[in-house]
Amino acid sequence: MADPRASATASKPRSRIASWAAHHRDSLAASLGRMLRRPWSTLLTVGVMAVALALPLGLGLSLHNIGRLGGAVEDTRQISVFLKTEVAAARASALAGELRAREDVAEVELRTPEQALAQLQAEAGAQAALYADTVEALGENPLPAVLVVRPAEDAAEADVALAAALEALPEADLVQRDARWRERLDGWLGFGARLVWVLAVLLGLGALLVVGNTVRLEIQERREEIAVLQLLGATDGFIRRPFLYLGAWYGLAAGLLALSVLTAAELALRAPLAQLAASYGSAFALQGLNALQALGVLAVAALLGWLGAGVVTGHFLGQTRPD
Amino acid sequence: MPLLRFDNVAKLYPGGQQALSDLSVSVERGEMLFVTGHSGAGKSTLLKLIHLAERPSRGAVLFNERNLRNVSGRAVAMHRREVGVVYQDHRLLTDRSVAENVALPLVLRGLRRDEIRKRVRSILDRVSLGARIDALPGQLSAGEQQRVGIARALIGEPALLVADEPTGNLDPGLSAEIMTLFAGLPERGTSVLVASHDLGLVKRMRKRVLVLDHGRLVDDIAPDELAPSGPAPSGHSPSEPAGPEHAHG
Repeated sequence: MADPRASATASKPRSRIASWAAHHRDSLAASLGRMLRRPWSTLLTVGVMAVALALPLGLGLSLHNIGRLGGAVEDTRQISVFLKTEVAAARASALAGELRAREDVAEVELRTPEQALAQLQAEAGAQAALYADTVEALGENPLPAVLVVRPAEDAAEADVALAAALEALPEADLVQRDARWRERLDGWLGFGARLVWVLAVLLGLGALLVVGNTVRLEIQERREEIAVLQLLGATDGFIRRPFLYLGAWYGLAAGLLALSVLTAAELALRAPLAQLAASYGSAFALQGLNALQALGVLAVAALLGWLGAGVVTGHFLGQTRPD
Repeated sequence: MPLLRFDNVAKLYPGGQQALSDLSVSVERGEMLFVTGHSGAGKSTLLKLIHLAERPSRGAVLFNERNLRNVSGRAVAMHRREVGVVYQDHRLLTDRSVAENVALPLVLRGLRRDEIRKRVRSILDRVSLGARIDALPGQLSAGEQQRVGIARALIGEPALLVADEPTGNLDPGLSAEIMTLFAGLPERGTSVLVASHDLGLVKRMRKRVLVLDHGRLVDDIAPDELAPSGPAPSGHSPSEPAGPEHAHG
């Protein structure tokens, strides 16, 4: 009969780091195996978590593409001054000259009513004849002369001040600051971006709770085993490790599923959107996540799972410590 | 220097149950002794205080001169590795083989797999279970399960082995076999503390006996005061507290 005490002195235990690394390796593999042995419950947990991840990601991507689309259309800051119809062509031309002399104006272009009508007819295509008939029926060109003013300064405040000065002109009927739509779009995009963050935090918390609850059930199921391990001298880290990896695996799988769903959605929308953009003469193409961003999503998802599991196991271990 | 010392230890459970009162006792290195007493006398509480499943309400439990009251966090786990525990209900993991159950204390210590295999085989041979190494606990008899529990408690070579009614479910033959195994441990450097209400068994072992009654130490009987057979040690049953003339240690 061999004496275990003799064998213990003959062999050295692994270094603490080596045994720590070995247990990490074992926990990583064992937790993956445990997850795969329960495909149905794993699918449910991963599915719910994936939805929670895909929603803010999808919304964020949509906003990013809308922002790109807005930028692609025109990043214009011109101001259109529609003159009263009674303003004569000579006065309009003189007014354009006066405005060019202003320091806050970079450029002024005068579009006469005739030029405006010609442009309208050119853009109307097949309906050009209808416009010609309408003008003939009215007996005069109803379009006003327009001064297209480009501000000298590249600042929204200067644009507003210049627009106010132009509105004060007695010849001006309507002043339209073209940059305003872009500012409104930017405002909506800013609101949307904030909404994405709020949703991301709320749904991220939801994902964390989903993993936490799954790990809690796993702990309940293995309560007896954990109690025995504790009595035999298992440290909190030893008990916690497999559950942390389980949470990370759930997060990683959910991240992969969320990315797959988003990629599928992008592929489904890409062709019709490109067709739509082409009809407006735009080469706009939908943009998804790049490789680095996708890796970031996977890392955040795994971290969420890890944290959810960590919170639950920490709470459980706190309850099992001797008073 | 004793391995284990209780200094005026009291344990009061929430709800007011006084499990131990002013208990002072020492266990020397390489000593085997029994704790006996009727149900509720405080035997299990005493064992729980030793492996830190509970903490005393008053007084100090010193293990290797370390006050267990001050042991917390990772040190609790380290302390438990120095104390092997054998339970009446075995507490084996039913979905793991005999070898895997016995290996647990060594897995916790981070030993290499080949070393663990070697030591598991060795300890199972020692408890005559070498042939059942791959069996699941459910496939074993009560006696075999108890021996697996003992092998698991011993494989980490603890300084102290505590056993709570280790022969409670076993026939006399198996009980004697296990006690013989325990009796050989002190010469290997492991102290042994056995809680048992089986007075016949306790007397036959001729070891020091602590008698508890309602949480108090009412007798501490030296081995030479025990008759090999006949009435209970010193003529006292656990429910009939002995006088102070037997006080010892």
